[in-house]
Amino acid sequence: MRKEIPAIFLLLTAMIIISAGSCTPQACFDETESFLKGTFYNSSAGKALAPDSVSLYGLGHASDLIYNKSTGIQPAQFPLDNSSDTSRFVIRINGTDDTLLFTYSSYPHLISRECGFTFYHTLDTFIYTTHNIDTIIRANKNITTANEENIRISY
Amino acid sequence: MRRTSGYLISLLLLIQGLSLSGQDTIMFPLRIRAGIDLVGPGMYIDNRNNLTAEGFVSYDRNESMSYVLEGGYLKYKYSQYNYDYQANGIFLRAGVDFDLLKPLVSKGKHWAGVGLRYGAGFYRSSYPSLVSDNYWGSASSAIPSRNAVAHFLEFAPGVRSELFRNVSIGWTIRLNLLLSAGTGKNVRPVYIPGFGNGGKSTSAGINYYIVWSIPYKTKRVIIKKEVPQEEEETEQESPSTTQPVTTGRP
Repeated sequence: MRKEIPAIFLLLTAMIIISAGSCTPQACFDETESFLKGTFYNSSAGKALAPDSVSLYGLGHASDLIYNKSTGIQPAQFPLDNSSDTSRFVIRINGTDDTLLFTYSSYPHLISRECGFTFYHTLDTFIYTTHNIDTIIRANKNITTANEENIRISY
Repeated sequence: MRRTSGYLISLLLLIQGLSLSGQDTIMFPLRIRAGIDLVGPGMYIDNRNNLTAEGFVSYDRNESMSYVLEGGYLKYKYSQYNYDYQANGIFLRAGVDFDLLKPLVSKGKHWAGVGLRYGAGFYRSSYPSLVSDNYWGSASSAIPSRNAVAHFLEFAPGVRSELFRNVSIGWTIRLNLLLSAGTGKNVRPVYIPGFGNGGKSTSAGINYYIVWSIPYKTKRVIIKKEVPQEEEETEQESPSTTQPVTTGRP
């Protein structure tokens, strides 16, 4: 029975070493930015379909394109302005421009100790031009880092 | 009548004597303990931003179970690339320790077992600055101080051994399960007193204790005699050695 105590000490010392290793700082592997995600629907085909070409930029940021004649974009990710309650975008679908305005509220969200903060949003309203866009409907008002559809854009 | 009662008492003593004749007993000291953790102050030497000071008192209910009350203080600061966090508060844990060593081994001097605790952290935390960058630029904000109470459960295996008379040292590993951080789900605390990393529902920690104890009572503990395995096998293999004795009786 005398050997029992040293054996337990050895086991727990090993566990301590393993635990000490887990105290080292860890890297961030999570998505750190929240986007409003819009899925494209072709109104004539009646199904989800990525446009042949998509360009997107924030109004007043024409030189800073989010998408530049990109193909296969599904869904489109709209980065909302964290320091404002509105964001305006120009979207060019298959060569035709439309303008979108989103109004929302923002709140900080701690992703993790390693990744820090991002801003989540709650979508209130949106207005848009209808040069190429038929309709936009809201699917989910909560805009987070999760891969969830927020609006459906029929074109 | 006196003679009858005298026989009765003698019979009772005889029965008691017979029942104890197959058992050994040891005198086991039940103790009251007080311990302080050395890990928190040790880490404070390395990192002056974070201080955890904690200790415990325990009371032996019997040779295998103790009631435990732990308490401590936390001061914590943390900075990441896009936020700062500050917290301070106290915590309490209450529960029991179970000694897995047999009384003959532990003798009230050694302990190797597990503890179960319920814990609560009473703390005040704030995010003095947080910044988030995206396509539109940088947005900064701050979350002011607020009070919260966290609740958690703890599983705490450990060992303890007497170094000098009434002075012990030992390790305790803390495996925690967070029940509630006491805050909303969006602005969770980075660190909770008594629990650890508040960003996750589980956490682990280590304490290294130096413990002072005083025996308050001595208990007679019955120890079952262990029959050596070899003797049993010997008896089974050679039954002829015992058989003549039993058959030889008239």
